[in-house]
Amino acid sequence: MNGESKLDQLFQTYRAACPDVEPSSNFMPRLWQRIESRHSFGFVFQNLARTTVTVCAAVCLLLVFLNFVPPFRAGAVQTPNYTDVLMAEHNAENTDYTEAIHGAIEEPVSASPSR
Amino acid sequence: MLVEQELIEKARGGDGGAFNEMVLAYRKRIMGTISRLIGRPEDVEDVAQEVFVRLYYSLDQLRTPEVFEPWLYRLTVNASYDYLRRARRRNESRMADLSEQQVVMADFLASGRRDGDERHKSQVREFVDALFQHVSEEDRLLLTLKEVEGLSLKELEKIYRVKENAIKVRLFRARQRVLKAFNRAAADGNL
Repeated sequence: MNGESKLDQLFQTYRAACPDVEPSSNFMPRLWQRIESRHSFGFVFQNLARTTVTVCAAVCLLLVFLNFVPPFRAGAVQTPNYTDVLMAEHNAENTDYTEAIHGAIEEPVSASPSR
Repeated sequence: MLVEQELIEKARGGDGGAFNEMVLAYRKRIMGTISRLIGRPEDVEDVAQEVFVRLYYSLDQLRTPEVFEPWLYRLTVNASYDYLRRARRRNESRMADLSEQQVVMADFLASGRRDGDERHKSQVREFVDALFQHVSEEDRLLLTLKEVEGLSLKELEKIYRVKENAIKVRLFRARQRVLKAFNRAAADGNL
């Protein structure tokens, strides 16, 4: 008898050697308990998932809404910051300088015909 | 099949009584298969219940009652595999050393008692379990279904949902590994 057939025989002996396991008397009640407990877990999980989806949808809608509403111009009421002041001063300086030059140029032009 | 197709249809429709009848018809066979797949009699009932819980919640996915048995076997293999993985994670799986098993086998053979006794059965189980340590858990399940449970390649094809050739190749390789370990034990004079 070669190794292959000996192995086949061993497997058959193994099958016969494995004991028949008899179900206990509370097999069915325990089975239904497990089914029920998984069912209730599933029910709680489903409810939780549904609530989470609803909240997420509401947050998404809110974000979309905020995206389309014109943004609030907070700078309009706030006090001017440093750059605003600097810009204002710069504009004022330019104006004075221009006016001074303007005056200096205009004076001789207006004076010459009177001479 | 152990039950009428009509009963399966009723259970699929949510009839608890029909499901009860199905469980009663199949539980002994399924427990026997699980016992040979996981090799731990004390946990067989727990795994069997897990199979039937999964069956209860997946019956609506069953396309036709004709494929019920492969479907049930598939659930059985998956639940057994999950159990073995959990057991391995807990370091509870029995990693029997083949050399120890060989000594046990040799002692037994030397005692000259071969037939019908519980000690012999227990030693055969331990010896085959030790041989199965040479293949992966997936291959162990496949080999057990084919060689011990006696399922055909066609049935395995339906259970695993892969081509027959792929199963043949995998079985051949797994069997070769087990055969090699078996021959080594025989060469050592322990058989």
